[in-house]
Amino acid sequence: MSAINRDILMAYLDEQLDPAARADVETHLATNPETAGELDTMRRQADTMRALYPAIGNAPVPARLDPHRLALLVQRRRWQAMAQAAMIVALLGIGITAGWLLRPTDAPALYNRLIADAVSAHTVYVAENRHAVEVASDDTEHLSTWLSDRLSTRLAMPDLTGQGFTFLGGRLLPAPALPGGRAAQLMYETASGERLTLYVTPATGIDGPEFEMVRLGAETALYWSDEAISCTIVSDQPPEALEALASVIFSQLNPVEPHENYREL
Amino acid sequence: MVDFLDEMEACVPALRRYARALTHNLDHADDLVQDCLERAISRRSLFRPRGPLRPWLFTILTNLHRNARRAERRRGERVDLNTIADLGTPAPQPGHMALVELARHIETLPLDQKEALLLVTLEGLAYQEAADILQIPVGTLMSRLGRARTTLRQLTGATNEPRLRTVK
Repeated sequence: MSAINRDILMAYLDEQLDPAARADVETHLATNPETAGELDTMRRQADTMRALYPAIGNAPVPARLDPHRLALLVQRRRWQAMAQAAMIVALLGIGITAGWLLRPTDAPALYNRLIADAVSAHTVYVAENRHAVEVASDDTEHLSTWLSDRLSTRLAMPDLTGQGFTFLGGRLLPAPALPGGRAAQLMYETASGERLTLYVTPATGIDGPEFEMVRLGAETALYWSDEAISCTIVSDQPPEALEALASVIFSQLNPVEPHENYREL
Repeated sequence: MVDFLDEMEACVPALRRYARALTHNLDHADDLVQDCLERAISRRSLFRPRGPLRPWLFTILTNLHRNARRAERRRGERVDLNTIADLGTPAPQPGHMALVELARHIETLPLDQKEALLLVTLEGLAYQEAADILQIPVGTLMSRLGRARTTLRQLTGATNEPRLRTVK
């Protein structure tokens, strides 16, 4: 007869024992009224508990506990969540696209600022006689090297003698429209003293038209840009004469023929 | 899917009974069961272990109840022991007071002992199955069960079963 400990007694009560072990316990109980009493107490306790929490049996189950209904709800909620997520994505997409389309239009304004800088530099320096240029035309080679160096791009000094313009020289200028920008100003003069300037900057990488003709007061500005440089010609010549000059200038600044269609503003 | 839901439906009465015993509140109990079923439905494909559905549902319900208890304790709410008078017990009868008293005592048991006691006594689960549901070893389950029963015997024995007080 093995000893009956609490665990075995409990297992007997809870019907967890195999028949042989059950028989052992029953034999033991027959001769140990104290243990039998303990078992009785535990059994009564268990019966009371079952009476306290009676099996729910076939009592009607509330609709909210019906798994079929819940499954539908869960599915619907999942769809709603997905629809919501899709909606958020769509709204974000619309927002981002609209934001992009309506983005501050700084970039197009930049080339206008370049033109304005060119015109103001023009009006300042064409009025000068002794200090119209920083480096005079008699040192063309040095001027070309120096400006090319400062602008980090190869810069030729166009020859406009065929058009009646003498090269006076050039200077280095800040280009306020571009952060940390520099510009080269080249000045030409006719026999009658009419002056023309070129305002050349390295390629700005900004959006803008390739060609633009603007009248600003007495001056006409013709802006032109390619992948290497941007150049604004400023003079008080009539637009047609300026266009003719421009093609000569551009072909010397850049071997590629300039576009024929200027956009009139 | 339909099989799964039917199988689940068959477990609902047992889950409600267990939830009632855990919460002592019919509405909370049904809330708990509903949460449990919803969770089981929505995670069925991801987390359902192989094997029978019933133990898995009991595990979910146990964990949900523990979480709710923890949240409740954080909020500082106490379970009102008087609510047990509203339990779905039979009309007052000679043993009614004993029932109410036992319910009170069960309520004072530590939660882990209470869970073990309810699963084994009410649901009649095998020790191994109950241990799996509670995610503990069988030995731990048995010691919890033993402590729960000893405590209850001491508490109820004092008033209801004087002739057995000397036992053990």
